[in-house]
Amino acid sequence: MLILKDVTYRTLNKEILKTLNMEFLPGTKYVILGTNGAGKSTIGYVIMGLEGYKPSEGRIFLDGRDITDLSVTERAKLGITLMWQEPARFDGITVETYLTLGGRLGVSKSEVQEALEFVGLDPALYLNRMVDKTLSGGERKRVELASLLLLKPRYAILDEPDSGIDLMSLDMINNVINYIAQYGGTPIVITHREEMAYNTEYGYLICAGMILKSGKTQDVIADFRGTCEVCKHPNLPVNGELK
Amino acid sequence: MMDVRKEFETIVKAAEQLGTDASRFLDKRFASIVISGNRVIGLNNVPGLRLIHEPIEHGVKVDIEIDDGAEIPLPVHVCTGYVEKKGYQRIIFNIHVGKRAKVKFVAHCVFPQVEEFTHEAISNVLLEEGAYMEYSDEHYHSDAGTIILKTTTNATVRKNGVYKNEFHLTKTRVGKLDVRMFLTLEDYSVGELVSKVRASKDDEVSINEVVHLNGEAARGLAKTVVVGLDRARVNVVNEAYGNAPHSRAHISCEEITKGSEVVVSTTPILKITNDLAELTHEASIGRVNQKQLETLMAKGLTEDEATDLVIKGLLV
Repeated sequence: MLILKDVTYRTLNKEILKTLNMEFLPGTKYVILGTNGAGKSTIGYVIMGLEGYKPSEGRIFLDGRDITDLSVTERAKLGITLMWQEPARFDGITVETYLTLGGRLGVSKSEVQEALEFVGLDPALYLNRMVDKTLSGGERKRVELASLLLLKPRYAILDEPDSGIDLMSLDMINNVINYIAQYGGTPIVITHREEMAYNTEYGYLICAGMILKSGKTQDVIADFRGTCEVCKHPNLPVNGELK
Repeated sequence: MMDVRKEFETIVKAAEQLGTDASRFLDKRFASIVISGNRVIGLNNVPGLRLIHEPIEHGVKVDIEIDDGAEIPLPVHVCTGYVEKKGYQRIIFNIHVGKRAKVKFVAHCVFPQVEEFTHEAISNVLLEEGAYMEYSDEHYHSDAGTIILKTTTNATVRKNGVYKNEFHLTKTRVGKLDVRMFLTLEDYSVGELVSKVRASKDDEVSINEVVHLNGEAARGLAKTVVVGLDRARVNVVNEAYGNAPHSRAHISCEEITKGSEVVVSTTPILKITNDLAELTHEASIGRVNQKQLETLMAKGLTEDEATDLVIKGLLV
């Protein structure tokens, strides 16, 4: 189980996450829902341990082990990974090299082809394409989803997985999410669109770096509709509290 | 001193280290020339192309003539080597590509066991109207790091011509490297200069790519990618001069550094003498992009593994 205990993250000027307590169970699909600027992506970065995103207070535990001070690589080796909203581009690296991590991942070419097909990319056309600016945003995102299929992480944080991908492909993204859950992994979907939440089981509604609601996804969505979608002051607490 | 056969084998074997198919030097379908020291030890011409050589002091001069309208179907393989440990080698290539002719060169410079050695290469290139030429030059040096390499290219591209020149020294030590490329583009011609170098230990690198846009609507690119490691010293100056209307050029300098004692500098110089010309540049020096590193680390690579993968990609 992945646990965030009293996690606060602040920059010099601002408190981005405020005493967050979150739990993610194995084999369960989660959503972190909230409007733009709520701090959702920051939660992903803090869990992954990116540079500059160490909690100011609080700890992160994986299966009872404190991983707060572990590096990105160490967390990845324990089974945590992150799919960025805007994945990085790499000059001179082919899709095949990227997906196999230069041969280090130990997956076969047929597995790579299968993963590409799963996300709607024709291997014959994409294996030798560069993971650079010549890929569209949607293509790049699909490559990243294929990477998740090959990595088989225990905890996969998907930051806005649908951004840049056409609406018709929502099923494909949900299939990837379901695949992860089926082998016992935990997909954690970060999104500001409630449609992306439908396929998850539990969720957290985030506003201004705080948890507004947690529980079953349908309850979280209901609060999102009733509170966030009609809110005239998103991420700006009134009198220090969320209304 | 080695016999010719042994020299040929040594040089071609080293060229194989760069990934070239050595059988092409014996395949009559491919034009090729193999130079060792100051001698030509292998030569093959094909219809439409003539390689004419003569000895010069410490080296060889090669005139390469491609007939008007000739399209050379297979790459011309140029292999320059030096099998002794000490010495000086001077190579001059005069390449003339006739009107609407098309040719691609794959050049390998292999100095597998040199210790105190200077190699100087001068290429004078003229592309006539509508001609197309690619020149890819890859180097394989000994690990001694004591080689001095000076390579100068002077290229002129006439109307509607297309010229691409790539220099790669990414698989072995550099030693001291001085790359100079001067490109003059006439009306509606296109030219690209690309240098990719991986410098390590005490290597010293100096690169100067210069594009003169002298013709209307000429387009040029001067691009450098250098990875500086350890205590390497790297200095890049890339220049573009917009002298004609509607001409455009872009300068790109990407320098990746890793090592507390590495020193890298890059200077783009842009000058316009015609206000309808357009010049742009982008330059960066520093560690591998953090997001790229973390993307790969989030998949389980260590920082060093991630850095290596990113660098390999940049130097392809």
